[in-house]
Amino acid sequence: MKLGLAAAFLGATLLAGTASAADKRWDGADDLPVNPLACSAGEASAAPAAKPYDGGRPSNAADKAGKPITLVDVPKLIGIGYFNATSKGMQDAAKALGNVTVKTDGPTEAKIDEQIKFIDNYITSGVDGILFAANDPVAIAPVLKKALSKGIHVVGYDANSSPDAREWFVNQAEFNGIAKSMIDSMAKEAGEDKSFAIVTSTFTTPNQARWIAEMWAYAQKCHPKLTWLETVEAQEDNNLSFNQATTLINKHGDKLAGLFGMTSVATPASAEAVTKAKLCGKVAVVGLATPNAMKPYVNADCVKSVVLWNPVDLGYAATYVMRAVVDGSLKPGASSVDAGKLGKLNVVNGSEILLGAPFIFTKQNIKDFDF
Amino acid sequence: MSAMSEIPLPQAAKRVVPWWLLRHETMLAVILLIALIGLGGLNSRFLTLDNLLNQGRLTTEVGLIALPMTFIIITGGIDLSVGSIVGLCAILLGYSWKVFGFPLPLAIGFSLLVGATAGFLNGIVITRVKVPPLIMTIATLALYRGLAEGISQARSVRGYPEWFYFVGQENLFGVPAQLWLLLIAIVVSAIVLDRTTFGRTLYAIGSNETAARFSGLPVDRVKLIIYTLSGLMAGISACVLVSRVTTTRSDMGIGYELDVIAAVVLGGTSIFGGVGTIWGTVVGLAMIQLLKNGLALTGVKGDATIVVIGTVLILSTLVAGSLQRRREGV
Repeated sequence: MKLGLAAAFLGATLLAGTASAADKRWDGADDLPVNPLACSAGEASAAPAAKPYDGGRPSNAADKAGKPITLVDVPKLIGIGYFNATSKGMQDAAKALGNVTVKTDGPTEAKIDEQIKFIDNYITSGVDGILFAANDPVAIAPVLKKALSKGIHVVGYDANSSPDAREWFVNQAEFNGIAKSMIDSMAKEAGEDKSFAIVTSTFTTPNQARWIAEMWAYAQKCHPKLTWLETVEAQEDNNLSFNQATTLINKHGDKLAGLFGMTSVATPASAEAVTKAKLCGKVAVVGLATPNAMKPYVNADCVKSVVLWNPVDLGYAATYVMRAVVDGSLKPGASSVDAGKLGKLNVVNGSEILLGAPFIFTKQNIKDFDF
Repeated sequence: MSAMSEIPLPQAAKRVVPWWLLRHETMLAVILLIALIGLGGLNSRFLTLDNLLNQGRLTTEVGLIALPMTFIIITGGIDLSVGSIVGLCAILLGYSWKVFGFPLPLAIGFSLLVGATAGFLNGIVITRVKVPPLIMTIATLALYRGLAEGISQARSVRGYPEWFYFVGQENLFGVPAQLWLLLIAIVVSAIVLDRTTFGRTLYAIGSNETAARFSGLPVDRVKLIIYTLSGLMAGISACVLVSRVTTTRSDMGIGYELDVIAAVVLGGTSIFGGVGTIWGTVVGLAMIQLLKNGLALTGVKGDATIVVIGTVLILSTLVAGSLQRRREGV
């Protein structure tokens, strides 16, 4: 019977797949090397060793130094608070610089294939520079290289691509720094020996995968008693995130003492799920999110710490970096770049510009932010 | 796009195919031409050969699946699992190459086999267990996507050898390599649908399945073939996609089924079966892709483009429907 054969075949493939993937790493982490920070609080990370420039370069880019330029910004998706904030930062920077026009346009879902099509169309329509936040670091590379080959400047922010597919990447925070803040907050709020689960976007999203990998490394090193239950995917989808968090609460019951939200969508949704389940104070929610979305939960004492950087500053910095690249004031080998009101930002890892240390929003300071 | 010639249809199909539907694709092609000229006038970079070929490159993956989908919808069926089959085949291509250590050509063959098997499974349950295609393929949409996620454990596979990127990124005689694949597939499926008994059987099944069975047509076998073909084409589409974006992800192909069905239906294939042409599907594909691209180039943002596409779909259905009512004198 052919049907039986087909089923057996599919089953065998599945078994082979799950068996080989059974290792100790947290699901949804990537396979890159990790670099956990020291356990003691307040210790800054050791200055990374200077690496040679490893970014790409555009071929025969027109010399627009000091001249007006038109940029397009293609984030992972449009219509969510986080990328609205980066977009606002870009507009602020464009206003401050006076000779930059930026337009934000991108897919309505965080799909890499759609994002590639958007970038492709903008290459055809002709812009001076492309700012991007990648849905997939490798899949986006061919289209970015195409842009470079047509003389268009390419600068990434928020989520990186392969280094040789763009010139610079504005890194909002070192991955291990974010990971340390997240795990330390969780250990403090839930308890050193408790269990937690993670709600992320997708297992292949580069940033989230990096953070989870670094969190795993840091937790092993500094909070070995913390138990990880599971990681679930919820796209960048409000409803799905809420459902996934609720499922986790129901599934693990009293065992679950903490939830990590890995995206600005998953964190408020997890907080909402905990609120609806009347478990405020019993299940700690720690995560990355924008302050406005978290204010109700922080003010209701349901969430104590929200980890983030300022996305408005991130967009602002990316625009300044692009201007500096076009003007020729930021060249391979530079050690810092001037970013307007943000002052001087340092170059790390060869071709990345570091925005700064992560910021933790609490009940005391969250009211001072509006984005 | 040549004008449609009268197809020698079986009697059963002739009764349900009014004359205007045979010209639906002609009407659509005229609208497409007007839209092209309009958008071309608004943006000088739109009607360049370079851009049009590039759009062909971007629409190949959906186009390859739209051809067997036309067959399936003509028989009154539907296949919603194609996007998930793309994901499953993409994952197994990367996985068998990286983890099982298959040489890449064998891995490609394996992934196509998986696609065909996945389609075959749809066909078997639809024909033997008599599960409606909508329900079966919704189930396998979830099943195949789940397998893709489970097998991959969310790890991307990267670093394919350089030669593999040829089909997705290079040109052959000045035309994107994968576009040749699509062109060949279009010609073959058009001939099959227009000029063979197999094609006529598809129309017969869509017009009246019971009558087709009593006429001694191999209804179940034909259905099995088209669902298997649909899976196989999704597999080919997956290989082209992986080659174009140089990496394998378990979320590849999400939502493809809707893009595919939109193109087929816009091309005049009736969701009730019995009516449709490959040329219509090709025009539908071109229409959606070039509208998206043309609007983007003239500075319309992505969210507005989706609204336009939706409006075009509704309008074309309305026009088709009102024409049909006028013919029937209702």
